[in-house]
Amino acid sequence: MTSPNSLETLTLDQVLKPNSLFQQSAPKFGHDFLKYYSFKAGFLNLNNGSFGALPKVVTEACTELTAWQEENTDYFFRIGFIPPLIGVREQLAKFVGASDVDEIVMVANTSTGMGVVLRNFLWKSGDIIIRCNTTYATVYKTIQYIHDTTPGVQISEFQLLFPTTRKAVLKGWQKHIDNVKLNAPKGSKIVAIVDSIVANPGASMPWKEMVKICKDAGIWAIVDGAHSVGQEPLDLKTSGADFFVSSAHKWLNAKRGCAFLWIPKKSRDIMLTTIPTSASYVSPGPDRPETNIVSQFQYNGTIDYTPYLSVDYAFKWREWVGGEAAIHKYCNGLAREGGKVLARVMDTNVMDPDGEFTLAMVNVVLPIAKDLSAVYDASIATALTNKLLAQNLFAVTFYHRELWWTRVSAQIWNDLSDFEILGNALVSICSEIVAEHKNANIPQNSKAQSFNSYLERPFKGAVAHDYNKGLGYPQPVTATTVVPVGYHTHLASIRP
Amino acid sequence: MRECFSFDPEYINMNHGSYGSLPSPVAEAIKPYYALAEANPDLFHRFTSIDLIRNVRERMAKFIGAAHAEEVVFVPNASHGLNTILRDFTWNEGDIICSCNTSYKSISTTAQYISDIPPHPENAQFSILFPTSHTKIIQDWRAYLQSLNETRAQSARELGRRPKIVAIIDSIISVPGALLPWKEMVKICKEEDVWSVVDGAHSIGQEPDLNLAEADPDFWVTNCHKWLYAKRSCALLYVPKRNQHIIKASFPTSHAYISPEKRDVLNFVEQFEWNGTIDFVPYISASCALDFRAWLGGEHVINAYCHRIALEGGKRLAQILGTEIIDEGQDFQFTLNMVNVAVPFPPTMSSDFEIDMAFRRKLLIKKKIYPAFFYHNGKWWTRCSAQVWSQVEDFEFLGEAILEACKEIVREFGDGSEEKAIREIGKEVENLTLKI
Repeated sequence: MTSPNSLETLTLDQVLKPNSLFQQSAPKFGHDFLKYYSFKAGFLNLNNGSFGALPKVVTEACTELTAWQEENTDYFFRIGFIPPLIGVREQLAKFVGASDVDEIVMVANTSTGMGVVLRNFLWKSGDIIIRCNTTYATVYKTIQYIHDTTPGVQISEFQLLFPTTRKAVLKGWQKHIDNVKLNAPKGSKIVAIVDSIVANPGASMPWKEMVKICKDAGIWAIVDGAHSVGQEPLDLKTSGADFFVSSAHKWLNAKRGCAFLWIPKKSRDIMLTTIPTSASYVSPGPDRPETNIVSQFQYNGTIDYTPYLSVDYAFKWREWVGGEAAIHKYCNGLAREGGKVLARVMDTNVMDPDGEFTLAMVNVVLPIAKDLSAVYDASIATALTNKLLAQNLFAVTFYHRELWWTRVSAQIWNDLSDFEILGNALVSICSEIVAEHKNANIPQNSKAQSFNSYLERPFKGAVAHDYNKGLGYPQPVTATTVVPVGYHTHLASIRP
Repeated sequence: MRECFSFDPEYINMNHGSYGSLPSPVAEAIKPYYALAEANPDLFHRFTSIDLIRNVRERMAKFIGAAHAEEVVFVPNASHGLNTILRDFTWNEGDIICSCNTSYKSISTTAQYISDIPPHPENAQFSILFPTSHTKIIQDWRAYLQSLNETRAQSARELGRRPKIVAIIDSIISVPGALLPWKEMVKICKEEDVWSVVDGAHSIGQEPDLNLAEADPDFWVTNCHKWLYAKRSCALLYVPKRNQHIIKASFPTSHAYISPEKRDVLNFVEQFEWNGTIDFVPYISASCALDFRAWLGGEHVINAYCHRIALEGGKRLAQILGTEIIDEGQDFQFTLNMVNVAVPFPPTMSSDFEIDMAFRRKLLIKKKIYPAFFYHNGKWWTRCSAQVWSQVEDFEFLGEAILEACKEIVREFGDGSEEKAIREIGKEVENLTLKI
């Protein structure tokens, strides 16, 4: 492709040719789809939820986009990227039910989107931020940071404990909100974080009702929708939320480093600046254009725009495979059936047997003895992660309410037999861990009353000594090896 | 050399300084990492990328002369790094945040934003007007900081405590593309008890022999995707151990964040290892970029060539345009690989942004060549970046193109003499009106 001869800008349809694959008909969902992804042969991916997976056709489109960027960087960064970026924002705006393209801006990931919203509020002493014990770690800690740096800002934590019912959650949430309002200092603002789909456990929440409870009480509702776009249908203009953030690189097949932030017009006044602040920032006042924040998000530091622009091709991919309804039907059905299979194989139980909280992710208890689960043990978290990877498969494992669980993602490349395989692997892994821990010398500071109290003070370098292998120091992990139990990194145990 | 880059063959890239360029060998070298990221996303993001990036960080720390690898972390770009620093300071009434008229626009707006919100620290601005000299800048900087200290002493008396002054200093200004005596300016900051935050966006890969342990700024940020050939976007944030307590949190805040009062050990590096899912390969690409540069001959060979072409090309361009290089009176002490040459407009020419837009149409689109254009101290200038693919002939082609464009622009927009006359008449009327 050569640089343009006029100021005529290009749309993505002109930059990216339709993939020849789209001429063929798509296969049925299941293992027939594996050839369209780039997983290493034999790797069983049951964790789309954490990092997504880039279909090969979208990878190819991204290569084209990068080549376009490098051909003439001045053209691209001063002129070329703008209409395609607006085009992607328009597509997303329609897809998620925003009222207007200018309500959608792009950010690198949900942590960034949530962070930029929370840090734009002008916090004062007496203000209250409501989070849950299940709030995602980066958001949980952003709230901690705001509390630590603004004297007098309080945190109110709602305990979300599974298993539960939607009814009980709403009742508890209402009670919590009422209590906070009752005791709030006069003139303070109250901001609540609501997860549309919690990460650990993977649970679809009655978030619109929770938002309504907030709004009825005059409380700001910021929705962390990281897992929502591509996993559930969205109609944000009727959601009542004040802000909504979701990652397109999880369930929407975009390239990693792509999320959107929904800023309805009513919330614009809060958003003073992007982070980093853009060159187009205008100080608040009569000279500041109404859509200044939208201009700021268009460019606020040199980045690679390919992830944002990949959304266009991701939509084409999803249409080709069968469309949103078909994808959701398959994944949700598989999650439910798969959960039952897992529970049978491991002889445990599904967290949410009625499926009230289940979309494409399902949570099942792990067969780890109760005495070992009594307190949170970071070395068990690591052991689970390491041993799963050593068997060339992966699903998330996490600690909740004195039990260890697995969270499994059902995707269009999975089928029921995958859950059978995972179940058997987990049975052997868990019995290994139980045996190893009987005589291992676990450092005391790798344990904590709860995961959240551990999160307050994460540390690195805890080693569970395997008395058989006599491991001393953690060994570095290379691209081709995974060190079995004994190597701890707090990252492995905290990220979802 | 152009074979190593993937430019449109008709495009002459004279503005590497703005966005950088990814060499094809580096693009190839990072393909295996992208394959790993998709082969097993969990293994890559939980383990492999963390360890790879740790190694690259250590290599980069050595490259910039940091005393410890734990003083260097990756951030997406210089703006991000500088915002992290500036936002992590606890601002109080009476504090002064000091930037320059030549600071990068987004950094000026960051300083503006910080003073826009409570508790409204003061936003001060140091002035650098070219043509000037390193000696003069150093002199003026000392005098300026001393005057800020007087202001601070006054505030201290009123507030009953001593406010802080935070200065943002460019190592190499963007427009004009000019190397500042930043190390001397940092020294003066220390003498005047002022925090030195260095925006070194253009430094790595252009300023040879960086030795941060020796220069000892309080904070320093640079873009690897500019002159070092890393993939966009990739930058380094350097914070010496003595100042890491200032960086309370990364942006976004990491799960590894620990409340300052509970923090009994520095966790600077941990906080920057994971801040949400991104494409981590650009950080890894910095190492591949260093390998490529070593293959080209190493830092001194690359920069000697680029510097020579910048000077020769700049002189040739000034000759063709009948104008001057911005620092020819100071023995080109401001010129590394970017050279600034005056545009042959009449002195009354408008400073409006539409002139730059006109250059884009006539040069970037029509002639497929585009250096940066900017208005500074009463004149239009062009900033040309010299890179390993550049030749003096490029500057000659550019010179002819600019001459033609200038004629057309003056025809289209006028030479500003009418507007100037109108402004002066307006001033006279104002004066007369006031007298009445």
